[in-house]
Amino acid sequence: MKADRIILACTLLLAGIYFYAIEQIPTLQIGDPMGAKAIPRVLGVALLITAGLLWWEMRAAAKAKLPVEEASPPVDKGQYVLVAVVVLWTALYLSVFEWLGYAIATTIYLTVLMAYFNRDKWLANVLTSTLFSFGSYIAFAKLFDAPLAPGLLPF
Amino acid sequence: METLGHILNGFSVCLQPMNLWYTFLGVFIGTIVGILPGIGPAASIAILIPATFGMEPTSGLIMMAGIYYGTKYGGSTTSILLRTPGEASSVMTSIEGYEMARKGRGGAALAVSAIGSFIAGTIGVVALTIFALPLAAIALKFGPAEYFNLMIFALTAVASLAGKSLAKGMLSTVLGLVIATVGIDLQSGQQRFTAGIPELMDGIGFIVVVVGMFAVSEVLRGMEQLYKGTAPKAMRIKGKLWLTREEWKRSIGPIWRGGIIGFLVGILPGAGGTIASMLSYSTEKRLSKHPEEFGKGAIEGVAGPESANNSDTAGAMVPLLTLGVPGGGATAVMMGAFIMHGIQPGPLLFQSRPDLVWGLIDSMYIGNIMLLILNLPLIGLFVRLLYIPSGMLYPLIVAISVVGTYSVNASMVELYLVLGFGVLGYLFEKVDIPVAPLVLSLVLAGIMEQSFRQAMTISDGSLGIFVGSGITIILAIMALLSVAMPFIMPRLKKLQSSEDQAAA
Repeated sequence: MKADRIILACTLLLAGIYFYAIEQIPTLQIGDPMGAKAIPRVLGVALLITAGLLWWEMRAAAKAKLPVEEASPPVDKGQYVLVAVVVLWTALYLSVFEWLGYAIATTIYLTVLMAYFNRDKWLANVLTSTLFSFGSYIAFAKLFDAPLAPGLLPF
Repeated sequence: METLGHILNGFSVCLQPMNLWYTFLGVFIGTIVGILPGIGPAASIAILIPATFGMEPTSGLIMMAGIYYGTKYGGSTTSILLRTPGEASSVMTSIEGYEMARKGRGGAALAVSAIGSFIAGTIGVVALTIFALPLAAIALKFGPAEYFNLMIFALTAVASLAGKSLAKGMLSTVLGLVIATVGIDLQSGQQRFTAGIPELMDGIGFIVVVVGMFAVSEVLRGMEQLYKGTAPKAMRIKGKLWLTREEWKRSIGPIWRGGIIGFLVGILPGAGGTIASMLSYSTEKRLSKHPEEFGKGAIEGVAGPESANNSDTAGAMVPLLTLGVPGGGATAVMMGAFIMHGIQPGPLLFQSRPDLVWGLIDSMYIGNIMLLILNLPLIGLFVRLLYIPSGMLYPLIVAISVVGTYSVNASMVELYLVLGFGVLGYLFEKVDIPVAPLVLSLVLAGIMEQSFRQAMTISDGSLGIFVGSGITIILAIMALLSVAMPFIMPRLKKLQSSEDQAAA
């Protein structure tokens, strides 16, 4: 229920920002009579209707609820901290991706993650990280001509 | 007769050595992807699209389709030995199959799943072959208004069926459409919502969204499970990898029924493998002479749903190929693959590129045979994939996602967006917002907007064009019904139960 309230608030906030952004699109006097704003306006209204529907569902659920609410199991906040750290680590990996290059950056990124999630198997982790990163770099960049960043690598 | 000529022509395309190789590669990758947790068919097709850019479109699409139906075969292995359905459509298999594995009949569960998938998959492809041309002929009568209403119906059906809440399904759909408005408006040439970022002028690519929301979010959830210590452990296969005479007798009926149910449900937008397998499960439970065995390892509970789940993929290809409208997340990504190869699926494709369409359809016959071979004698090898430590696998999936995305446009902005959509997908799962409607609407949004504007230009700005013909009216009613269903069904059930109580 609390999550639904947050979704409702986010939907309304998004609709507000979206309507504001629509108004920033310049109106053209010539060309397509419908204009670039027409569909976004319809979608803005659709967001508001969705918010209304969500509110209606929340009310219906509240009415149908039994008098004694079941206690929800305690949530270990550590899991969210872990996910946040992984996301930040991935963002850091992306920030040095072009500078270090795909192969080197990916080797470091994978080694660190595997060191945490696949503990006590450092040799397998380092070998897998290095072989995967350099192997996929050679396969994609050299064989398929995919534009992977070489970074510090001379090839 | 015309169809027969097309079928033969299609076989001449798909039996070319290069296309046979790509069919094999597709179903092989599909089986691996299906077995491994963390990356589903939609994300794997999206990641591999860039690898097909250098290929001839027919070969590339044959490989993509192979991945799509190959994942269904592989998914059953995970469900049976791990009790973890890779996708919602394998839930029933994970209940009955795992119970069979616990009783030492894991080999039989895997065998019936592979044989059922083969028979039902072939039933589905035969039906696709029969219905493709007549449906494409009907679709040729569609104008922009009909197409717009059809897409509205597809979106509303998916929104109302994809999750537990209509509002959340609708929210996901609208968000997909909102994301699609970012970039240059094709008709006026104006920039919309780009915030001055040049990389956003072409819009937010669907690969970015799909890889983020399906692959990265799944990795985040998997890592969370590792932290909590709730990651499932795989069972070893016990017993022969074949069925006893009694098991075979009990399975053949469910396989045929599942094949037919799966195809019919697969055609409908939004329904997909989950509803097909559940419908098959409930049908088999009702028809079974041993209903008390259901939930405790009934072989019919594996044979029927697995067959329905596989036949559904052929059914789902019907609206994609004949109408150019996908009915779910994975087929939406398939449509994206078509578009990225410069091919617009739909009725005209049957006239302009019959070699591609029929080559693709016929490759599914060949692919099903390859999958049977891969999933019966070689299943022991594939099962070993389940023993790869998840702590190694999940980081590798992120790296594969990065390669797949970056190799399309070499854009760092897109990589950050992948991460952002990954977090969004993770949050969506936490609050029960389905992801499939967002991907579907993102893929359809461009065509929808163009159809809407074309229709409005034809009608001089009158909205009457959207209810101006028999087809548009039927489609509009179907769209309204799909939205109204979640409100009507509980009331009907309530009415029914009160009548039953009164009668008792």
